Amino acid sequence: MIPAYAQAFTYQILWRSRSLRSGLHRGAQGGLGMEFRGNVPLTDYPDARRIDLPQTLRDPMDQLHVRVFNQKNPTPVFAVCDLSGSMQFAGRRNKLALAAEIAASIACSADQNSDTFGFVGFDDIVREDWLSPPSRRMHEAFELTSRLMEYRPADAGAEGLLDVNRYLGSARALVFLISDFHMPPERLEEAINTLSRHHVVPIVLWDSEEYRQLPRLGLSAIIDPETGAQRTLFFRRELRERFEQAFAARRTLLEALFLRYEIPPCFIDDEFKAEALTEYFHQFSAL
Amino acid sequence: MSFDQPWFLLLLPFAFVPLWLERRHGRVYSWVALAPKDALSDLAGLLLRALSVGILACLTLALAGPRGPEQAIQRIGKGAQMVLVIDRSASMDDPFAGSEASGRAGESKSAAARRLITKFVNQRPDDMVGVVTFSNSAMHAIPLTQSREAIHAAIDAAGGSGLLQTNIGAGLTTGVTMFEKMPDSGSRAIMLLSDGAGRITPKAKQKIADWLARQRVNLYWIVLRQPHGISIFNPNLQVANDGLEPAEIELHRFFQTLKTQYRAYEADNPAALQSAMQDINLREKKPIRYAERIPGRDYTDSLAIAALCMLALLLAAKHLGVKSWQPA
Repeated sequence: MIPAYAQAFTYQILWRSRSLRSGLHRGAQGGLGMEFRGNVPLTDYPDARRIDLPQTLRDPMDQLHVRVFNQKNPTPVFAVCDLSGSMQFAGRRNKLALAAEIAASIACSADQNSDTFGFVGFDDIVREDWLSPPSRRMHEAFELTSRLMEYRPADAGAEGLLDVNRYLGSARALVFLISDFHMPPERLEEAINTLSRHHVVPIVLWDSEEYRQLPRLGLSAIIDPETGAQRTLFFRRELRERFEQAFAARRTLLEALFLRYEIPPCFIDDEFKAEALTEYFHQFSAL
Repeated sequence: MSFDQPWFLLLLPFAFVPLWLERRHGRVYSWVALAPKDALSDLAGLLLRALSVGILACLTLALAGPRGPEQAIQRIGKGAQMVLVIDRSASMDDPFAGSEASGRAGESKSAAARRLITKFVNQRPDDMVGVVTFSNSAMHAIPLTQSREAIHAAIDAAGGSGLLQTNIGAGLTTGVTMFEKMPDSGSRAIMLLSDGAGRITPKAKQKIADWLARQRVNLYWIVLRQPHGISIFNPNLQVANDGLEPAEIELHRFFQTLKTQYRAYEADNPAALQSAMQDINLREKKPIRYAERIPGRDYTDSLAIAALCMLALLLAAKHLGVKSWQPA
């Protein structure tokens, strides 16, 4: 049963899946497919149905040639979700609810593309209870995402991101990294390096109440759920402008960092639309 | 600086609790480190903490009750310490011996004595006065005090009917003991008001003489003469047949042997009584030095007011607080 909030989007990958199964992505496996790979002698590939007559006739050595095609293969798709304290932030939307929505949409899209879907949740460590190995059992994924809808994260950091690669398998996978990426750039860079085997799509969840729609005037304390640090802020026009500047600088920094690894980030504020991800893949992974 | 309740100072370290205890009512923000630096906000945060520390500290200090150093001021007064030893034997309710001559025929001796003593006391507002009444034994009416109200009440209490006996020895000894715990002001007197005399045992005489000398107390004896009574100033005294001097004469002789000042007055009408008191009034006017202790300034109120002001500021800041993060 697909939950109502799951919105399927289309995605493509530019690399060849090494999977042996049949799927919808370009694969490295010869077999029944549409992608012509080459001609081999019939003795090497004894499939009489695919004898390439023109090639056979053209061959001076009178060998029988067979056309070989690449089979379409599935790719593992992972949603890696940040469950650290900073995801507690609830502005327009609860960040984790939004993340759950995105994860469900990824699961739904993976199912449509006959890919496997896996989920890895992490905070200070990779959380065993928020782990779902790649499979096609979508009901499991949706169960997990509806659990994620209600989950309120503990006051924990995001150190577990460095260990996530151990749960993603050895085959190259499409990894959606859902987080607000509120972590020091060095740590993030380190984490990206551990994930270099995979195709990473960073999905940056920010809330407009975090930086764009701040209180007009007044005193307020802000608490960091991860460190417990606290600051008093006196909101006024100047401070609001500085907030926007700080987040604009942060956005530039994140974009530069991700682009250095050729993984353009996808910023999602407040609301998830499947078209945004479809658009993203059209833009950055078009054939 | 001293404290009335220094134990409350033990609570003072708790005033600093707001410095390390985080308030948990605030907006849970995703990443505080990302919030831009803002000097004004930091100042406001510091101020809020300082306010809460200040409020707690002020209240704790106010509980401890701080006061400034006590000051001792040397004062020169003309007051005396005077114990009135008043006879309330039954004969005091009789009229004066000379009542026929004066206009106030109906006034009893005790009433006149009370009236004049009250007047006397009112004339000397700086005096400390104690009152002892006696008939067959002494009654401690009021110790040496400056409270006029209490003195007047004690003098009034000296009225009322008494017994027939006149135990002067007990009255005097009780009067002298009043000076014991009182610092010497330099002018001390016992005013003995009686209408007769009783005999005092030699042992009691010795005790009275010793104590009066040690406490340096002057003695004034006002005899309210009974009609046809003998006068102590009568030089040609008729010794009674039994060979004993009358009690009044014997007492007068004994008082004259005292080391401290002694004066006797005889009054057979209120006017004479008044003039006797006037004389005493003039005699007991030596300037006396005493140190008055001024209590140190009490800081409790100012501390409480300071705490209140800071509390008002904190409330104002709370009012200025963002109630919900509604977008601007």
